[in-house]
Amino acid sequence: MKAVCWMGKSKIETQTVNDPQLLNPHDAIIKVTRTAICGSDLHLFDGFIPTMEQGDIMGHEFMGIVEEVGPDVSNLERGDRVVVPFTIACGQCLFCKKKLWAACDNTNPNAHLMETAYGYSGSGLFGYSHMMGGYAGGQAQYVRVPFANVGPLKIESDLPDEKVLFLSDIFPTGYMAAENAQIQDGDTVAVWGAGPVGQFAIASAFMLGAARVVAIDRIPERLALARSIGAITVDYSEEDVSVLTALKDLTGGVGPDACIDAVGLEAHMGDLVGFYDTVKVALMLETDRSGVLRQAIQAVRKGGTLSIPGVYGGLLDKVPFGAAFGKGITMKMGQTNMHTYLRPLLERIEKGQIDPSYIISHRITLDEAPEMYKVWRDKQDKVTKIVIDPWAERAA
Amino acid sequence: MGIALAERPRADVLPDQSGASSLLNGHYAPPPADEGGKTWVRASVVIQAHAQKLYEMWRDVEAAPSWHERIVKVWSTGPKTYHWLMRDEPGHNTLEWEFEILADEPGKRIAWRSLSGEPESAGEVLFETAPGRRGTMVTVLQQFRMGKLSRAWEAVTGRDPKQSVIENLRHFKAMAETGEIPRTQPQPHGERGVVGSLKRSTYGEKIKTPSGTSLGQETATRSEGSSR
Repeated sequence: MKAVCWMGKSKIETQTVNDPQLLNPHDAIIKVTRTAICGSDLHLFDGFIPTMEQGDIMGHEFMGIVEEVGPDVSNLERGDRVVVPFTIACGQCLFCKKKLWAACDNTNPNAHLMETAYGYSGSGLFGYSHMMGGYAGGQAQYVRVPFANVGPLKIESDLPDEKVLFLSDIFPTGYMAAENAQIQDGDTVAVWGAGPVGQFAIASAFMLGAARVVAIDRIPERLALARSIGAITVDYSEEDVSVLTALKDLTGGVGPDACIDAVGLEAHMGDLVGFYDTVKVALMLETDRSGVLRQAIQAVRKGGTLSIPGVYGGLLDKVPFGAAFGKGITMKMGQTNMHTYLRPLLERIEKGQIDPSYIISHRITLDEAPEMYKVWRDKQDKVTKIVIDPWAERAA
Repeated sequence: MGIALAERPRADVLPDQSGASSLLNGHYAPPPADEGGKTWVRASVVIQAHAQKLYEMWRDVEAAPSWHERIVKVWSTGPKTYHWLMRDEPGHNTLEWEFEILADEPGKRIAWRSLSGEPESAGEVLFETAPGRRGTMVTVLQQFRMGKLSRAWEAVTGRDPKQSVIENLRHFKAMAETGEIPRTQPQPHGERGVVGSLKRSTYGEKIKTPSGTSLGQETATRSEGSSR
C-alpha cells in the first residue's frame, strides 16, 4: 500500500510499504477513505517531538471502511463505515473507567519511554512517535486499529466523509478545550490560534454559552473563517496591536473569562520574547516556545480559566506563575479524552448544528502530501485544512 | 489518648504487611538497597480484576511465557518446583533456572526462590485491595544475584533485570484487564535507513512482545507483513 512516511526533520515521503495485519484479538484493519494532516503533525515535521524514526507512517486523523476484524471484536464487521479516534484506549483500566481515555494505562507498548520523561505514560496514539506507542499512522491506504471494540465510531447515516472526518481529533479537541474553559452563560472567551482546533474551540465555546469569542491569529483566511462563525478577530501581527490591550479594550478592562491556547509549543510571537524562545530552543536550553501560554496567563481575568489544547512536549521557560497565582486562575489541559465526545458531537453534526467541513481548503492525493506539508507549515496558498483521499490518483 | 482526627469517613483501614509491601505500620518502607551483589526491584500496578483471578493467573507458572519477555518454556519438575528456560530471538543465548514456590496463599500472596541455575533470584508478589477499593494492587518485590552466566541477561532480554520485572508486570496487567498485550510488531513502515534500524533497540521494539493470547502467538511467528 501507499503511506506517508516521516523520513527526518522537514522530510516527508510517500512510499510503498507492506499492508498492515491483525496482531491482536481486538484489532481491526481499516481501509482508509479520508485522512487529514493535523496542525500537530507539523510538530513532527519540524522535529519538535522526540522518538520519531525514519520510516514511521504519519497520520492520526482518519476514517474508513472496516476491512477485517480480530476474533474478539464483536461490535464491528467488514464493510462498516467508521471514524477512528486518535487516542487508543483499552476501555478496561482504571483511567478508561473514569473516562480519562487519553490516560489509558494499557495501550502504549513503549510506556517506559514516557514514564522516563513524564513520570507516567498516557495512552498510545496513532502515528505520533515511539514514545507515544510507535503505532503506524493513518495517512495510508490501510491502517491497523487496536482495541477496535472500544474506539471506532460507526457512521450509519449517509453523511459524507468530510462532515464526520474531524471527529477523529480536531472537533472533539476543540470541544474539550471549550469544556475545559468552564464557560458560563455570557462569558467572553479568547482563543489563540484560529487554525482547525481553534475554529472548533470557537464554535464549541458558542455552543456552550459564550456571549463573545475573540480569535487571535495573523493568517487572514483563518481570521475570516473565525468571523464567519461569529467570532471577533484580532490580528496580532498588525502594527500597533497589543493583544493584552485589545482583550482589555474588548472586555471593559475585565479581561476574558476564559483563555484557550490552541497554538502550543511552536508559538510565533514576532517580538523580542519570540526571539528569546527561538534562540533558547535552538541552544536546547528549553524545548518548547511558550509565547502564547505566557500571554494567555497575563490576559485571563482574575479567577478565570486557562484551557490548553495546544500541544506541549517538554520544558518551558519564563512561565509567569506569579501572575497565575496572583489572579487565582484555573488551568486545564491535556490530550483529548476522545471517546467521551464522539457520539454527542456526531449527533450535533447529524442535527445540522455544525458542518465541520467548513474549514477544508485543500483536497489532495497521498502523492501530493509531501509538498503539502510544506505548504501547510508555511501557510501558503490560503491553506486552512488539508484532507487526503488515499485512493485518488494524482491530478494530471 | 484518642486520635486527633475523628472524622475520616472514607479512610481505608491500612494493611499491616511486611515483605514486598510498601507499608509497615503506617510508614512507607522503601525497597532494599542494592548491595552485596544483590539487585532489588519493586514495582506495583492497580488492576481492574479480582485478587483471586490475578492470583490464579500468576500461579499458573507454566503459562508464564505468555506474559514474560524472552521466556520460551516453563515446565513443572515437582509439586512446587519448575524449570524456566529463557532464550533471545536469534537463539544465541540461553539462561535456565529451577525455582520453587515458597509461599502460596490463594488470592493474597506467592513467594518463590531459585534453587539452581542462573540468575539466582527470589521474589514475592502481593495481591491487595487498592487504595479506596479501586481495584487490586499487585506489588512485586524481586531480588537478583547475577552470576557469570546471567551477566548475559541484558544480552538475552534487551533490558536490565529491574526493567524486565517492570515490563512483565505491565504485560500481566494488560493481559488481565484486556485479554491481550499491546504490540506493534510487526507493522508496516517506510525505509528505516541505517540509523533508524540501529536505534530501534533503544525503544525496546527489538524485544518480542509476549504472546498474551493465541492470536498474539500466531502473529509473533509471522514475518513482516505482505501485500493485501
